[in-house]
Amino acid sequence: MLYSSLIFIYGFFPPSLLIYRIFSEKLRKTVLFALSMIFCLLCSPEMLVFLIFFTFVNYVVGLFTGAFRRKKLLSTLCLFIGVAFDLVMFFTFRTEKFIFLKERLRIPDEIFPIYFSFITLSALGYLIDIYKKRIRAEGNFINFGLYIMMFSKFFIVIRYSSFRKMLDGLSCDNSQMGKGLKIFVRGLVRKVIFADSLYMLYIAVKSINVLEMSVANAWLGMTAYVLCLYFTLSGLTEMSTGISCCFGMEFPPCFNYPVFSTKIRTFVSKWHIQVLQWFRRCLLKPLCDLSKNRLCHRLAYILTWCAIGTWYRTDVNGLIFGGLLGFFLMEEKFLCRLRLLKATGIIYTCMAILMFAVLISGDDISCSFRYILAMLGGNGVFADSMTLYLLRCYGVILMAGVFFSSMIFRNIAVRCGKTVADIISPVLTVVFLAVCTALISGSGHSAVLILNF
Amino acid sequence: MKITELSNRLTAVFVIAFILFFGVLTLSEYGEKDFPEISAKTILNGSFGKVLESYMTENFAFRDRWLSAKADIEADMGEKIVDGVYISDGRMLGTEGARRDISLKNAENVNKFADNYKGTVYFTAVPTSSGVYAELLPDYLLSNPEKSQIATLYDGLADGIRKIDTYNILKMMNESYIYYRTDTGLTSYGAYYVYRAVIQKLGFLPSSYSKYTISHVKSDFRGNLYKRCFYDGTKPDILDIYSYSGGAEITDCTVCTDSGVTYKKQPDNMDFSESDDIYNMYLGEGNPFVKINTSVNNQKKLLVIKDSTADCLIPFLIQHYSEIAVIYPEYSEKNMSFFVDPDNYEQILFLFGIDSMSNENLLEMINK
Repeated sequence: MLYSSLIFIYGFFPPSLLIYRIFSEKLRKTVLFALSMIFCLLCSPEMLVFLIFFTFVNYVVGLFTGAFRRKKLLSTLCLFIGVAFDLVMFFTFRTEKFIFLKERLRIPDEIFPIYFSFITLSALGYLIDIYKKRIRAEGNFINFGLYIMMFSKFFIVIRYSSFRKMLDGLSCDNSQMGKGLKIFVRGLVRKVIFADSLYMLYIAVKSINVLEMSVANAWLGMTAYVLCLYFTLSGLTEMSTGISCCFGMEFPPCFNYPVFSTKIRTFVSKWHIQVLQWFRRCLLKPLCDLSKNRLCHRLAYILTWCAIGTWYRTDVNGLIFGGLLGFFLMEEKFLCRLRLLKATGIIYTCMAILMFAVLISGDDISCSFRYILAMLGGNGVFADSMTLYLLRCYGVILMAGVFFSSMIFRNIAVRCGKTVADIISPVLTVVFLAVCTALISGSGHSAVLILNF
Repeated sequence: MKITELSNRLTAVFVIAFILFFGVLTLSEYGEKDFPEISAKTILNGSFGKVLESYMTENFAFRDRWLSAKADIEADMGEKIVDGVYISDGRMLGTEGARRDISLKNAENVNKFADNYKGTVYFTAVPTSSGVYAELLPDYLLSNPEKSQIATLYDGLADGIRKIDTYNILKMMNESYIYYRTDTGLTSYGAYYVYRAVIQKLGFLPSSYSKYTISHVKSDFRGNLYKRCFYDGTKPDILDIYSYSGGAEITDCTVCTDSGVTYKKQPDNMDFSESDDIYNMYLGEGNPFVKINTSVNNQKKLLVIKDSTADCLIPFLIQHYSEIAVIYPEYSEKNMSFFVDPDNYEQILFLFGIDSMSNENLLEMINK
């Protein structure tokens, strides 16, 4: 079941909210766990069984790692088993190598691989935190089960300690529910209105033969790709955050208007904050702790970025993307000394990000390099009638996408003051919910995803 | 109470009321329509979730209005493509032609069949509206035009098979009302021009246009493209039926189903006005085999192997043959020999829309 589907919004969400609110605070955790099980059951019963198995293995490994915290060797062994298990599962779902297992489990293929990518990060983070003695192992299976399986948390990566604190005070306040619904509808708008139409633009450009593509088309396609990726990921996490907020848990925002930064470093620090922080905390830091050598630190940095690239796209393209971006980030400080960059920072960042995006969007490496060549004018055509056609059709949505993903929008919203926003938001929320409902009414959901997860 | 809190509470009330209104309205028809059965079995084999999802989608409250709102929003927002249907100023066009892969297996099957057959084999591939009005589509959807799809197919056919070109005739006529605006198929007027091209090749003089009386069946017809995108901005179509006054009539019409049941159909009491399918309008529901005897007294017999595109042409052919047998491979799992012996017919006409030719197993049945 997708968040952006009629069955979720109109069928699953209202009764679960009602049930949640009927029960007293003590029982709410159990209710949430039961609801999450029903959610998975409706997706596919095999998925439910698998998720419970996955949760249970991590739960047990966590307990053992915690129990052996004084014996370094044994706890390392436990951690190793847990990490190996999680990684094997991750690659099972993300690559086509283990397709028989996927078919056996009858996993709904459109969105589950993404769910699973986030779940793996949560589980691994939990085990590493126990091993590093940042937290104690969780004894209560329901608490841990909620951390892994909660239906509203699929796109959120958060530390276990913060999550555990939220579980203690599960409130159900009308005002908080309204806030959650606003966030949810905002996420829905990002996914259904922006991401889906930008996806169409990207697909239109992609259908041109790359050897005949004009420069303008190539840049247009990549702009659509990056914006679509931004709106998809931020939409999914915002829907997640919004639903969780209705059920009394407030997760921090995940994107802080990253598009149009002045440096790639700034871009990266605002993009998918939770996920990138996870990699920093659970991979980069432990790797750096191993040695004090500066060269090793640099190597660890690049390795971490390779892992991030692989997480976004599990193949050679992802690896190369991560490695190159990591290297670039490390060396960016030399570029930053240039005076020129102060004025043209935004343009430089945008162009660099678009170039990097080619690597995760292309079908394979050679295809990506041919595309970059087209962007640089390798085909000798600057623009053609297709460019005009696409601009005429998608100009408005592209401009709106640029506007809403930029700081300008945020700044205007802040300057106007909270009062104006507070007054119009209830009506706007309902209007946008209606528009999104209309847009998904044909197929019943909005499933297109730009990432080849 | 602070204003932010008030605003949040109001949002909660509005949104929940909105969701409940449509949610309850949709699910309140429980039992009336085919609501998924709740049982341990359906839940455990995973079908419950899927059926519930499609139930929710198909029976969503005020679905028609949501859909036409969707079409309006999408056509305004980006490219004018709604669910694969391109909405141009005057008409709707399907966009799947660009990805269509013409299977040469069909051509091979026809060649093989022609080798063992004494009479003459004719082949006509009719373009869809997207082929004839290709210039209305954006460039990137034209990398694989129907013109070259037809050429590929004809190149694959053996030399002995007579290929009839309809693309250029229809292209020439494209200022006239030859294709429906909301459907992929030919209008009766378009069908008349295809008929002229076909019948000349088959060795007859076409009947002149003035001999036909035209009766309007419907003026608010919306075809298969409309049913995919629900866009109301394109003008609905006019359904016409041409009848040849004073010409030959159908004397006998035998229908045979896949299970071997044969029955006669009264040709004169066909009621077209209620049918919302233009294809059924001419020959009735899709049957694998229909044999038509006419009052023409020339002992000429024609076997037509066709798809739904060709239905509108059959009434025109009646004027020239005393017997026409029609085979509809899509509706049959049996072989052709189950229905008819092709050697009893001196001419065989393959009459297909180019869109059917991507189905590679379509003509398997003629050789088995």
